[in-house]
Amino acid sequence: MKVFTKMIQLSLATLLLAGCSKNMLDESSPNVIVADNLYKDKAGFDAGINGLYDEARRSRSGSTYGGSTNLMLEPAFVGVDNACGNYEDTYEKVFNNWGANNNASVIHYRYIWSWLYETINAANTIINRADQPNSLTDDEKNEVLAEARFFRAWAYRHLTYLWGDVPLTLEESSGSNIRTDWDRTPVAEVRDAMEADWLFAEQYLPETSPSNPGKVLKGAAQHYLAELYLAEDKDDQARDYALKVTTNPNYKLVTARYGVQATKPGTPFTDLFLEGNTNRTEGNTEALWVIQNELNVAGGEGDNIMRRYWVNRYYSLAATGTDGKSVNPIAVSAENGGRGIGRLSPTKFALSLYDDHDDRGSDFAWRFYYLINNPAGIPAGAKLGDTIRLDRTSNEKVTNPNWPSTRKWDYVSPQDVTVDRQYDDQAMIRSAETYLLLAEAYFKLGDLDNAKDAINALRERAHADPIATNQVTLDFILDERSRELFSEEERRYTLLRTDKWLERVKLHNKLAGSVVSDRDKLLPIPQNVIDANIDKAMPQNSGY
Amino acid sequence: MEINYHKLEQSNGLIKTCILIYLKIMKELFRNIIGLLLWCCLVLPMMAFSQEQTISGKVTDQEDQQAIADVTVTVKGKAIRVSTNSSGNYQIKATNTDVLVFSFVGYTNKEVRVAEAKGNTLNVMLSSNITNLEDVVVVGYGTQKRSDVTGAVASVDKSRLEQLPNTNFAQALQGSVPGVSVDQNSGGAEGNNNSIVIRGKNSITASNSPLIILDGIPYNGGISDINPSDIESIDILKDASSAAIYGSRGSNGVILITSKKGSRGKPVIAYDGSYGTQSYANLPDMLSPEEFYQYKRTREPNTPVTTSEQAVYDSKNFPDWVDLATRTGSRNQHTLGVSGGGESSKYYVSATYLDVKGIAVNDDFKRMSTRVNLEMNVTKWLTYGTNTQLSYNDRSGIAASFSGDYGAYRFNPLTTAYDAEGNLTVYPWPDDVYFANPLEGTLADNADETYKIISTNYLNVELPFIKGLSYRLNTGVEYTNRDQNTYYGRNTRTGLKDNGTLNQDASIQRNLLVENILNYNNTFGKHTISFTGLYSYQYDNIKGNSLEATGFPNDVLTYYQANVALSKAPEASYAKQTLISQMGRINYSYENKYLLTLTGRRDGFSGFGANKKYGFFPSVAVGWNVLQEPFMKDTGALTNLKLRLSYGSNGNQAVGVYQTLARLSERSYVNGSATAPGYVPTSLANPDLGWETTNSLNVGADFELWKGRLAGTVDAYSSKTHDLLLKRQISPVMGVDTITQNIGKTANKGIELGLNSVNIESKNFSWSSTANISLNRNKIVELYGNGKNDTLNTWFLGKPIDVNYDWVYEGVWQETDDLNASPQPNTKPGYAKVADLNHDGKIDARDKTIIGSRQPSFTWGFGNTFKYKNFSLYIFAQGVVGTNRNNTFLADNVNSGVRYNTTRKNWWTPDNPTNEYYANDVDANIYGVHLFESDSYLRIKDISLSYDLPPSIRDRLKLNRFKIYVNMRNWFTVTKWSGLDPELNTQDAIPLQKEFILGLNIGL
Repeated sequence: MKVFTKMIQLSLATLLLAGCSKNMLDESSPNVIVADNLYKDKAGFDAGINGLYDEARRSRSGSTYGGSTNLMLEPAFVGVDNACGNYEDTYEKVFNNWGANNNASVIHYRYIWSWLYETINAANTIINRADQPNSLTDDEKNEVLAEARFFRAWAYRHLTYLWGDVPLTLEESSGSNIRTDWDRTPVAEVRDAMEADWLFAEQYLPETSPSNPGKVLKGAAQHYLAELYLAEDKDDQARDYALKVTTNPNYKLVTARYGVQATKPGTPFTDLFLEGNTNRTEGNTEALWVIQNELNVAGGEGDNIMRRYWVNRYYSLAATGTDGKSVNPIAVSAENGGRGIGRLSPTKFALSLYDDHDDRGSDFAWRFYYLINNPAGIPAGAKLGDTIRLDRTSNEKVTNPNWPSTRKWDYVSPQDVTVDRQYDDQAMIRSAETYLLLAEAYFKLGDLDNAKDAINALRERAHADPIATNQVTLDFILDERSRELFSEEERRYTLLRTDKWLERVKLHNKLAGSVVSDRDKLLPIPQNVIDANIDKAMPQNSGY
Repeated sequence: MEINYHKLEQSNGLIKTCILIYLKIMKELFRNIIGLLLWCCLVLPMMAFSQEQTISGKVTDQEDQQAIADVTVTVKGKAIRVSTNSSGNYQIKATNTDVLVFSFVGYTNKEVRVAEAKGNTLNVMLSSNITNLEDVVVVGYGTQKRSDVTGAVASVDKSRLEQLPNTNFAQALQGSVPGVSVDQNSGGAEGNNNSIVIRGKNSITASNSPLIILDGIPYNGGISDINPSDIESIDILKDASSAAIYGSRGSNGVILITSKKGSRGKPVIAYDGSYGTQSYANLPDMLSPEEFYQYKRTREPNTPVTTSEQAVYDSKNFPDWVDLATRTGSRNQHTLGVSGGGESSKYYVSATYLDVKGIAVNDDFKRMSTRVNLEMNVTKWLTYGTNTQLSYNDRSGIAASFSGDYGAYRFNPLTTAYDAEGNLTVYPWPDDVYFANPLEGTLADNADETYKIISTNYLNVELPFIKGLSYRLNTGVEYTNRDQNTYYGRNTRTGLKDNGTLNQDASIQRNLLVENILNYNNTFGKHTISFTGLYSYQYDNIKGNSLEATGFPNDVLTYYQANVALSKAPEASYAKQTLISQMGRINYSYENKYLLTLTGRRDGFSGFGANKKYGFFPSVAVGWNVLQEPFMKDTGALTNLKLRLSYGSNGNQAVGVYQTLARLSERSYVNGSATAPGYVPTSLANPDLGWETTNSLNVGADFELWKGRLAGTVDAYSSKTHDLLLKRQISPVMGVDTITQNIGKTANKGIELGLNSVNIESKNFSWSSTANISLNRNKIVELYGNGKNDTLNTWFLGKPIDVNYDWVYEGVWQETDDLNASPQPNTKPGYAKVADLNHDGKIDARDKTIIGSRQPSFTWGFGNTFKYKNFSLYIFAQGVVGTNRNNTFLADNVNSGVRYNTTRKNWWTPDNPTNEYYANDVDANIYGVHLFESDSYLRIKDISLSYDLPPSIRDRLKLNRFKIYVNMRNWFTVTKWSGLDPELNTQDAIPLQKEFILGLNIGL
């Protein structure tokens, strides 16, 4: 009977619960973060800002969240004068073959678009909510707004370079107002918003941040402002903002050996890219913004695949022995920079740009040879440790393991030499690039002498021959950018900004040169963006 | 929050209570059974001597235990015959070896051995024998005589439930009921990946799964957690009126599963056992290693075949990956059940062991379950009952891989499966360490165990003073505990990469339901009225803890060493939803001729937006038993006819919890080497999210011809769904790609016919059939209220929900074609030809069109039973007609560098200018045009031959029942589909198994 008593008690309890049924249906989950309970105090806004840093970090990861394939910003890096696809998959084919391959259904365009607007909405949410009543002090509020606005403008920078006119939204998205009538805002208008954001950021971002090596600095905002003004042909302002960086002693170029391998053979330039040397706290004074990764730490997984994509498939390199048999003499190893899959590679043009004694074209910066290290793959007539020099005489071509690759992204996990991702910190922008923006501004203003000095600052550091004033041309500046910034800069943007893209791709890229057309200066708007705009036609970029 | 805490306490208490009751019952039962067995073994034989005696006793009705008068009692084989008197008593002279036969109109004949008499008393219970249209149907919150039902309610043919090798009830459902379609999504030992749809899809993106009610209680578990051997009946509520009692969850139909109950009388001990083998029904036609080698060299002549591939090719020592990943499976099932009952109780107790070894290597499924169904009349006015199942499922072991990057079908055949020591290789293709061994899962340490309690308990109280009024308290508890542990060691790629990979996942799911039901039932002259009222509260809660860890000093402690892991990522999940409901139903009938049902249900659901918590769902239905009319008495062949009409609205609440909130996803960063927690908004709030509502009209008729030789049901329906719970893709400019909203309308209409016939019935031979056919037409009526299609989501007004929308493949560009006039720039002979539908000279999104749909023209099922003497042959066929889809195996999806195998095709070459398939060239299909195929099929699902031991021999062996059978499942299929299997949704998956089963049923 005890059971029955319990049952009856339970049913009575249920009947009683009828009275308070209203709040029983309210939802609140202990494990779900919603906007209303996050952006309440400084810690909450900080979490939002950290989310933005992770979003920015994704530019060098796989195109789907958490993925390790299809480099997110690949369109910015290849299909240009100095880089192309080597081991082609669908994505690389687009930038080698263009034509029908470059169409509105390329799925990665969709991923890039979604990722950038996700970043913008995240920033908008922070910006909107920081303005509403909350527990932030004025200083805290400006600190939060500076970073959020920095990233919003940064996302629009990518959108405008890739697609031209894009919808401009500066408000937090809401579920009760799903817009199906977006317009493409003219680039100039989007740039006005970017300028406002970066000017605000420039005002409130710190000049240095010893306690947090990943923080974007004032210099980063000044750098992007300089670039923006160049694109808008406001060359005076470009020069002034570039000078704010290059004349700031905090951002001075690294000119001497330093850091983890200072006593080993190397160069000041290549020291910048070693793991343990990238952060300002580690001696890299020219860093303006360093993205952070960390092995085996929550939040440290950035799915970074720069090495995976830029390091060639040296383990597929075949060598024929004296017996006529072909073997693979090079095995994946830490000494060889870890395992890459060589999807992207330099063009022959990029390799041809360096003087003999330019550190940036040296064996420390590039893999021009390997040592036989595969006991199971020693060609007849050779031995372990013998050198195999790569062939640089042919033009760039696809599926070519016998081709140099940059060492800027070398990284080996202490746990597994074949791992896909890498966990090192990487400079997103260095003041070295600001010097080249400065050179571009001086060049456009006709001040070739100062342009020469800006360029020579980098050449001297790299032990390359200084140039004379009469050598300064726009093409020389672009060549210098390739020498200094190969695979770091978003090369496509640089060439589009200087209106040199089509000309230089045709001239220097042996795979894409014959097939690119004027149409390809802007990517096609992803088909899903057009299709979702049910109530208003969204014009496609011309030619698609 | 305080309230929630109290509820939690209650559920714990209830679970404890249930376990206590269960243990108590088990104890009682075992005591009884052991006593009984002793009695059978020792006492019975002593009594087996022949001596004439006078036997007396009472005959009562099995159900209501009322005495039955005028029952004929005869001694089998003799001329002795008596009848029971008005109090059901009889007296007859017989010897100990005689058998008494009890017969009475409307009841099943019963034979009882005199030896079973206790002393000289032999009490007998008879069970009613009511024909098809007269039997009782489970209708939700009670049962009804079929003749009184006004809605569209169908029952699953018993032969689909008995003696077939079902691992779950969905297999019994497939093809057996008009209007119900069951798709098997993938093969595998457990066979639980099914989708069930009743009367077409109402919902575009929300769930179309019906509500499952197990013994009166909404069931949330997996379909393979219910032991099919315990199922007595499956009834399906299809129209709005019958499903309206489940209100907000009824719009996709309701499946009512009733487990076996005991029946009063002496205990029946039954054993059902079967053993079978499984083999694959079909495999894709992949290239042989030599063909693959040639294919690879042709496709990318400039890419050298890697060193290790060449070595394998030269050695001719090829692995047959599919052969390595498959095996002859087996299936072993044994059920022991005891049922019976005394004056004040009925019981059914069973235990089942199921052991399936699937056709994929290491794909195993084991289930052990026990069930106790008990009903006790505590007093004249109080009844207590329980239906309780305890089960243990063991899914341990990770199967060989058939899908994904390491899937056996498409795996590069120029690789090595085993190293020189006979171990599976970590990197089967040493030159491309991206690839793990397709069999690496078999090396993982994996334990996956689930314990589950499903217990429904009820108290029924006959209330005093008002005749026919009763109160019922129903409680349901479902408690599931699943524990998964996996460790990949350094002998696998997954483990080697990270120095050991560990995954742990423990989850607890608790569902609690309390229903208060008031029933009233009475007859006033020609008026019969019944009323059911309900107030219920239900909550579902899932909590999970998982851990991913990597980097271990060694592999010795497998998944017991998380503490020394280099990297650990624990995660906790939680979801809770609450449903509060009130329901009322009135049934009225006049002279059993005119029937009326009115229902209404109000539901409140926590998952909906703050502004839309409650919904109300009414319905009305009428029925007319035409043949009860005096003027219809003389109808010749037509022996029964009922017409039905119903209209009502049902809801669909199928959204996950927390969908209405603006959630953020974790996107943490690092500050130096310290975690910097981060979040990014990834969903949009929708405080207005509410029910999806379906209004539907049903017209139906139940008929019977020639006294049941042919009986059937025909229904026509039309339903309209509005406020769809639509998960739509939105412009990514919003920063979020999808949102669930109440927008859009869909419509379904259809006709269903179900027939049962006895085609031939003679002394030794009979042939009976069940057949069903259903047609459903589904279309999208409206999306966003602007009359526009949504191309992005491929939703088109006036078209079915799941159309294929794509470019049209038009064959191959030939050397004779004018390539300069081609809309495809830079095309070459041998390239795939895409139709330029709008003739604008280019191929773009505007050239896509609808290429058929996943909606069948019709589906059908046809079962035949042939009986000759004691042999019985059952053949069941089932089919789907009029669907098509993209056959993914027809794409040369081999990756650059030809890293995957593909199926054999008739490739275009200059010497073979076919139009069938484009050239083997990396650029031959730049647009990625897909090839569509019909996946209609006809399948002989089951062939079952059984033999019953004749009663004369059975009696001598003192057996109630003895049957042996063989069953063949999935042996014959007719289809044009060239992929793996037309029934399977995923083609790159474990193949469908065909089975050969040998079984035995014994009853004592």
